[in-house]
Amino acid sequence: MEYVSPEGLRLDGRRPMEMRQIRAEIGAVSKADGSAIFEMGNTKVIAAVYGPREVQNRNQQISSHALVRCEYSMANFSTGDRMRKPKGDRRSTEISLVIRQTMEACILTHLLPRSQIDIYVQVLQADGGTRSACINAATLALADAGIPMRDLVTSCSAGYLNSTPLLDLNYVEDSAGGPDVTLGILPKLDKVTLLQMDSKLPIDILENVMQLAIEGCKAIANYIREVLLENTKQLEYRRGV
Amino acid sequence: METKSSSSSTNLVDQSVCPGDVILDLSNMTNQTIKLGGGLRQDCDAISVMKAGRLRFSKPNKYWVENSQKRYVPHAEDSVLGIVVDSRSDNFLVDIKGPALAFLPVLAFEGGTRRNIPRFEIGTLIYARVVKANPGMNPELACTDASGKAAEFGALKDGYMFECTTGLSRMLLSSPTCPVLDALGKKLSFEIAVGLNGRVWVSAASPQTTIVVANAIMNSETLSGAQQRIMVEKLLERIH
Repeated sequence: MEYVSPEGLRLDGRRPMEMRQIRAEIGAVSKADGSAIFEMGNTKVIAAVYGPREVQNRNQQISSHALVRCEYSMANFSTGDRMRKPKGDRRSTEISLVIRQTMEACILTHLLPRSQIDIYVQVLQADGGTRSACINAATLALADAGIPMRDLVTSCSAGYLNSTPLLDLNYVEDSAGGPDVTLGILPKLDKVTLLQMDSKLPIDILENVMQLAIEGCKAIANYIREVLLENTKQLEYRRGV
Repeated sequence: METKSSSSSTNLVDQSVCPGDVILDLSNMTNQTIKLGGGLRQDCDAISVMKAGRLRFSKPNKYWVENSQKRYVPHAEDSVLGIVVDSRSDNFLVDIKGPALAFLPVLAFEGGTRRNIPRFEIGTLIYARVVKANPGMNPELACTDASGKAAEFGALKDGYMFECTTGLSRMLLSSPTCPVLDALGKKLSFEIAVGLNGRVWVSAASPQTTIVVANAIMNSETLSGAQQRIMVEKLLERIH
């Protein structure tokens, strides 16, 4: 199957280095301490953060820093075929772990000892790049909750199909079986917090694909910053400060 | 010693900032003392932001990030509204919406001795002052002011308690008086206790007044001063 046409267009009409349209909204869940909705094309994710709060299970309490818990799930209606087991399966457990480790890299847990931070992420609509969207949504929700962070974490996927590096893969491109790199970075600190790859890729091509993913992450970081700053400004403006 | 802040910092004061933003570079600042408030941290030679909000500066040398959140981070000398969740022999465990439960010693009351230990049922609402707030230990409360007098602290009877953001509670306690409280106070008679932890207690003669005051305060978070006054007028029109 041809994923990139001779004119250099992908199946959904994007250029190889073009991202899907992104949209974010803060404060979607009123009862949560912090929440956000993040959309990347047809992928739609909601994240809610609770904490820092008292550790529920005393055996898990850590005296030196905060305990970060994460739960990833997919809504039954998120995919074309109705999902039988939206959470608790191996894939969900693995993605929960990935998100937790990625977020722990940016949260200043030592400032909140003996407390617990819960991150709940649910995929409302899946069209490839769900773990990237989840990380971006979780970052926004953590910032909304006022949890101290080193930097914002942003994530983006990139792949290599038809001898062309592609940015921000959708479901069709993702399931083509080609290499799929998911990258998470701290944009201001220039540090990588997540790097995952399915399939094999020559090292020189990997560098190109990674560079493409980094550019995507930085573009998302700029957008997330704008959303956060706009949210703060709006609140201040409304109050007439 | 007065701080001559770097150009980057001067540009960011009173601006919205995000986690990771560097507001001060210490490498080109010598023999200058600066005080860091909430939301800022020192990372090697840079002062960086760790919470989204608005950067504030107070002369001569204080920087902090002003933000609004639902959870409360305890600070000494803050007045808070807590709910008693457990009673021990020597202290009460109080929920102050923070990362950990706070301790309220049974002797931390005016004239507190072993003979007149107060009895609080679980669920009692208490207005208290944060005495100690260290990261490694539970916060400690007291129902007395610095001189040992009860002042306005203690258990709050009757009334209605609701939760809001920490930003709104700071706004309600700001000076000059917040427009919404000013407008309500001219027309209605009520008692109010605002905790910096984002809890507000309102007590009035009639439930109707209590509900009006509570709704007006909850609606005021996203309104400017003029809008708050208009909103209060409209609410009062309905009940009179």
